[in-house]
Amino acid sequence: MDNYPALIVIAPLLAALLAGLAVWIKERLSYPIALMGLAVSTFSAFKVLMQVIDSGTIQYKMAGWTPPMGIEYRIDLLNAMVLLLVSSIAFLNLLASYKSVEIETNDRAGSFYTIYLLFVTGLLGVTATGDLFNLYVLIEITSLTSYAMVALGDRDRGPLASLNYVFIGVIGASFYLLGVGYLYLKTGSLNMLDVANILSGIHGSSTVLVAFILMMIGIWIKMALFPMHVWLPNAYTYSPVAFARIVAPLMTKVMVYVMIRLLITVFGFDYVFETLNLADAVVWLATIAVLAGGVMALSQKNLKKMLTYIIVCEIGYMVGGAWLGNQLGMTGAILHILNDALMTFALFLAVGNMVYKLKTVDLIDLKGLFGKMPWTMAGFVLAAFSIIGVPPTCGFFSKWYLILGAFEAGAYHFAGALIISSLICAVLFFKVFEICFFEPMPEEHGHVDSHSHVIIEEAPVSMLIVSGFVSLSLIVVGLYSGTIVNTIILPFLK
Amino acid sequence: MRFLGFIIVCLTGALLLYGTGEFPDWGDPNSPASIHLSDHYIEKAVEETQVPNLVTAVLADYRGFDTMFETAVVFCAGLACFLLLRDFSQKKERFYRHTPTGVILHVKDSKKILKVGKEFEHMDKDWVPSDLIIKTVCRILIPFIQIYAMYVVAHGDFSPGGGFQGGVIFGSSLILLAISYDLKTLVRRVKEKVFGIFAALGVLIYVGIGVICMFMGGNFLDYSRLAPLVPGDPHHIRALGMLGVEIGVGIAVTAAMAIIYINIVSEGRHDEGL
Repeated sequence: MDNYPALIVIAPLLAALLAGLAVWIKERLSYPIALMGLAVSTFSAFKVLMQVIDSGTIQYKMAGWTPPMGIEYRIDLLNAMVLLLVSSIAFLNLLASYKSVEIETNDRAGSFYTIYLLFVTGLLGVTATGDLFNLYVLIEITSLTSYAMVALGDRDRGPLASLNYVFIGVIGASFYLLGVGYLYLKTGSLNMLDVANILSGIHGSSTVLVAFILMMIGIWIKMALFPMHVWLPNAYTYSPVAFARIVAPLMTKVMVYVMIRLLITVFGFDYVFETLNLADAVVWLATIAVLAGGVMALSQKNLKKMLTYIIVCEIGYMVGGAWLGNQLGMTGAILHILNDALMTFALFLAVGNMVYKLKTVDLIDLKGLFGKMPWTMAGFVLAAFSIIGVPPTCGFFSKWYLILGAFEAGAYHFAGALIISSLICAVLFFKVFEICFFEPMPEEHGHVDSHSHVIIEEAPVSMLIVSGFVSLSLIVVGLYSGTIVNTIILPFLK
Repeated sequence: MRFLGFIIVCLTGALLLYGTGEFPDWGDPNSPASIHLSDHYIEKAVEETQVPNLVTAVLADYRGFDTMFETAVVFCAGLACFLLLRDFSQKKERFYRHTPTGVILHVKDSKKILKVGKEFEHMDKDWVPSDLIIKTVCRILIPFIQIYAMYVVAHGDFSPGGGFQGGVIFGSSLILLAISYDLKTLVRRVKEKVFGIFAALGVLIYVGIGVICMFMGGNFLDYSRLAPLVPGDPHHIRALGMLGVEIGVGIAVTAAMAIIYINIVSEGRHDEGL
């Protein structure tokens, strides 16, 4: 069957609608429906990736119209990889979320799953599409669903965080749309490849330049590149755990994918790095983002918020890597999309387990956690090592490519920032470990001697299994990075 | 901070103006936008889709995949309103009116619920006797608005209109009912459950048609594959497919509008409206 590319996106959409019906008929059904939708989607994404590796880019014409008349899905090695990443993380997270959703959404689990699936549909659609306007429509779906989810989170601060997110998110999306409008004026087309062909003849046009800047700023706002990151920490901190666990690893990474897609496929390397003279400035911006993210993370007292600033820092890695303008840097950026999604997911899974037991995760709440939740902490430590970049976890390898790329491009400031941010992350995480390991558990009944009273109170098994699985995958992906680079990334960049 | 904002706004404005420097002339027949794809749509759309309205042809067929997601956006907005605002908890104080005498009861005990029926009716806190003229006029108008809405949906292939517009008109007729009578009249006539189901069902019709095309061996939303399933002239199958999805859009938009309106005006309690 050749419909797998469409199925990746349609399966979760269909499941979302069925779950939406189930809300009114039999709410308990919505969870299995959601699981099934995402399982089909993950399976299709896997099939598509295998097919792309074997036989090259797949083109899927929606409604059977030849592009540029109609919309097409164009799946090459890069988005096949991201599609599999998004769908499998969404599926695993759903597996782990059953209990926490029950607690956090009161009686509205069915609607939660519906919105969750729509969010995943949006991310997958953004990744799969080969059409600039279709991409905008799906960004709209992901944004709308995430606004709703953030508002559903923390009772007091969720709505305000969501409102900030709405304002900034809408500005970002409009910038992108405006850019598409400018491009349409000059090219008369919305299909990415078609636009790229026409653009190659009009590189000098000021309209194209403005379109490019507008689209980049729009996407940067959406991916929270410093200094356009202000919406992210609050939005991710105060959203429900089951949603934070998927939005934190995926949303920003998919936007990085969109940026790389625009750079490589739509505008082309020739335009971006030879006609324009922006690359140096952007690498500097990324350098500042990396350092600023790290420093701001240092000053946080809440674990969840600290991690959100680390995301801001990691975005700097990928933007900088992609704008270095050489193959090594781009390889590092693409590999880091995969690695960072997995690491952030593993971290947030561990945090989700802690929130499930502790309710709040301010750093002082974490005392004695190694004794109380050993398995969760094991996963947390692995993920933290990966963020710091300790070999053989996967974080090391992408950072290695990024640093090599920085040296090749002569961007020593960026290489320096990468190393400093690794040190900052090391300091951060060892601070957390210290609190969790050495500080005694808070005594509840006056005096209890802390040696004999370590009671293991772990999160539910389903959450632990997923968390363990993802944490181990960090090492596996790390060991196989060579294979991933050679079969997926290098053939794509050729 | 304010000054910084001002500078950013000015810079953005300057950037946008700079970009207009190489715009094609106003109404230029040779601009890329009017020669690249438009020619194909204008010359071939009627032949290929059998739909005389080119806008509908582009919207629901060539770019039907976008429109499907736009409908999903509307559904999502309705669902988000329900998810965030709906409040199932009973109100502490309630007002009832004893219909035969017109005596108003103010019940403060949240457990005491009077049976609403012939004797008692619910009443809003800021109750104003509904105006006979407004009520009568709206009662006469609403059915016509609804028939017109269905016409707009059904005639979208031939004239301006379509699912979104028809859905909005139908939805506004329901809102008119809620304003001219009161919110309870609307909620009593059409249950919340019905709106909820219809919102999902509308989008499901759209997606479902696409999936059926896939089962018939075509690509997603390729209406031409539906020909064996539908009696009649197979040339018109694309037009029929579009009509089908437009009906889905209409249903989804109507229900989503009603859900959004009811939840926002009553702060999710579904008791007192504007």
